[in-house]
Amino acid sequence: MSDERSVVSLRAISQRFGRQPVLRRVDLELLAGTIVGLVGANGAGKTTLFSIVAGLLQPDGGARWLFGAAADEVDTATRARMAYVAHAPQLYGALSARENLQLHADLRRVCGLPTRAADEVLTELGLPREAFDRPMSAHSRGMAQRVALARALAARPELLVLDEPFTALDAGGREQLAQVLLGERARGAAVLLSSHDLDTLTQICDRVVLLERGELGRSVDHEGDRAVFRERAAALWTGRAASAGSGPAGALAPAAVLC
Amino acid sequence: MRVLRQALLLLRSELRQELRDFELLLTASFFTVVLLAMFYLSFASLQSKAHLAAIPGLMWLTIAFVGVLTLTRVFDREREADTLRALLAAPVERLAIYFAKAAMTLAVLMLCCMVLVPGLWLMFPAGAAFAEQPLATALLALLGCGGYVAIGALFAAGLATGAGKNTLLFIILYPLTTPVLMYALVTTRALLDHHPDLPSYLGQMAALDLILVSIAALLFETVLVGSGARSTSPKGQVPRTLSREPSA
Amino acid sequence: MRKLLPDLCLVAAMPLLVYSVHRVFLETPNERQMGTAFKIFFFHVPMGWICMLMAVVCGIAAGVQLRRRSTMGAAVALAAAEMGFVTGLGVLLTGPIWGNATWGTPWTGDARQVTTALLWLVIVAYLLLRHYGPRSSDRLAAALAIFGAVNVPIIYYAVKLWKTMHPSTGVVASLPPEMWASFWPALSGLLLCCLGLFGLRIRQLVLAEELDVAWVQAQDRA
Repeated sequence: MSDERSVVSLRAISQRFGRQPVLRRVDLELLAGTIVGLVGANGAGKTTLFSIVAGLLQPDGGARWLFGAAADEVDTATRARMAYVAHAPQLYGALSARENLQLHADLRRVCGLPTRAADEVLTELGLPREAFDRPMSAHSRGMAQRVALARALAARPELLVLDEPFTALDAGGREQLAQVLLGERARGAAVLLSSHDLDTLTQICDRVVLLERGELGRSVDHEGDRAVFRERAAALWTGRAASAGSGPAGALAPAAVLC
Repeated sequence: MRVLRQALLLLRSELRQELRDFELLLTASFFTVVLLAMFYLSFASLQSKAHLAAIPGLMWLTIAFVGVLTLTRVFDREREADTLRALLAAPVERLAIYFAKAAMTLAVLMLCCMVLVPGLWLMFPAGAAFAEQPLATALLALLGCGGYVAIGALFAAGLATGAGKNTLLFIILYPLTTPVLMYALVTTRALLDHHPDLPSYLGQMAALDLILVSIAALLFETVLVGSGARSTSPKGQVPRTLSREPSA
Repeated sequence: MRKLLPDLCLVAAMPLLVYSVHRVFLETPNERQMGTAFKIFFFHVPMGWICMLMAVVCGIAAGVQLRRRSTMGAAVALAAAEMGFVTGLGVLLTGPIWGNATWGTPWTGDARQVTTALLWLVIVAYLLLRHYGPRSSDRLAAALAIFGAVNVPIIYYAVKLWKTMHPSTGVVASLPPEMWASFWPALSGLLLCCLGLFGLRIRQLVLAEELDVAWVQAQDRA
């Protein structure tokens, strides 16, 4: 398969804060049209890794390629092709859902970038119409999460980086978001997300990878049977070596992940 | 052009949020009035000559204090909701963020000057020169506040993204902005004295502001996000060894 | 050889400082108007120049640190700031002593005194930010150092822009030859001493960073 499908490629990415290593020589590749789920305990380095992919943080070591080109700095044109949703919704409390989305749509329009209509994407993520014009400070955490995701999806990005997107969503919301992400994958977008919700992850991901103390460890692939995938992902999480891991992983360099 | 257009959009959003509750405008204006009252109580009994010497210091001390309050509040909104990182991750020119924040802070400070300058004139008759030279006074206020804001917006943004403590803003801002404020102070004295070199002083302030804005604009993105690391691998295409067929 | 440079500077500074003290106090005549107090000039002015030099070095190193994410740049900036702090403190202590003896008041509030004090405050702010700032504060501190360096030419031209009681920048140029002969050893001695300490501090900071990296690598291997 040619490199043209590569959306994110990280090689030997390291990050250290003083004596505290956060990421240790992480290799990661993400191809278009795939969904990769990252699991890890609190403090494993997921948010730091996502910040590096999104261009919010420069790694201490290693190299980063985005959309097939070297990305020492993530410029505006590259950021236009991706969307990042952090753990916090990152929305202005005094503005309504529609206004928050409209602001980012207007900012993108200045760069000549198309954006989906705010109403359409808010409806797709299950926000009731009467809530569109309510200030974000009046919304629940779950509603705010939906609006944040809507803002990301409105941009029709080629890469979606989502830090715990299912947080605060009810069962209906999780199901809705899962379907939306599957739709994005069908559209050819690459999705990198983290979550503690293994059930939902194994429902939509092509691969689940464990990030442990800054190192990418073993991974499991979806090989046809979602139930088996769920079981193996759970074993990955609880660290039961007997039933975890995909076949070829042992032949790879310790921290390499292939999608 | 893109920078300017995005800056205007962000400024419009800032103003829209502010006009919803007027929190920043009201608190900054009230703080200005409180400082005026304190200055009046402290200095009213002095002779008119002493007023003439004190007014420039009173004016720019007030701007310094209100400026920190304003910058803190402008960026607290971003810090509380982490919205600055959303802008940094979006296809928004980083310079547009700087200009929008600086413009918002400048607008609030100019509004405070509209309370401060007439207040000083009313409380201290030696301030009559402000009324006699309104254009020069307006330009002086704009240039002085502009230089202050040029520096303040950079450091307030840096502290807002780095989970920095607000107290550090005081430590950083007062020493760095004092040269700008001193220039403003000398120019204010020249204005009050009807000094013939006033246009020259205003020109020098404009030049200083231009230098400070240029340096701050150059540093903004690097301070907030960092510059690109020196690549440890060859530039160009993704290394083939890492690419493989995805599993079914 | 390069590693020994700071040590060599200190070794060279020692006899120079001894000689300059001897020369200034025992062989240099008193200045006609200022009397004995003028002898402070031979230490005050070099410290002032070194303080400004360190502020500029700090600003340039901070620029390199920001642009190239250089550990050496960060170390040079911090070491320069610390040396600027020490020499600036020396200037602010010796200046009022000289001023009190010469003008009858330790602090005249003139432009150069005030802006030198402000530069010193900027250096202190930089050191506080480096020590107490959040994770990304090294970049913020670097920006502060760059702005602080911009203050240096403002200090230099302050004499020309504002009315000042401070001796004009022409004092050094108008020194008689026998005083020049005392000025250069004092300047050289202090400069070599400061450069030696500066070099040692850079070495220490770079070593500390290398130790951190090695410690992390050792943890990874374990």
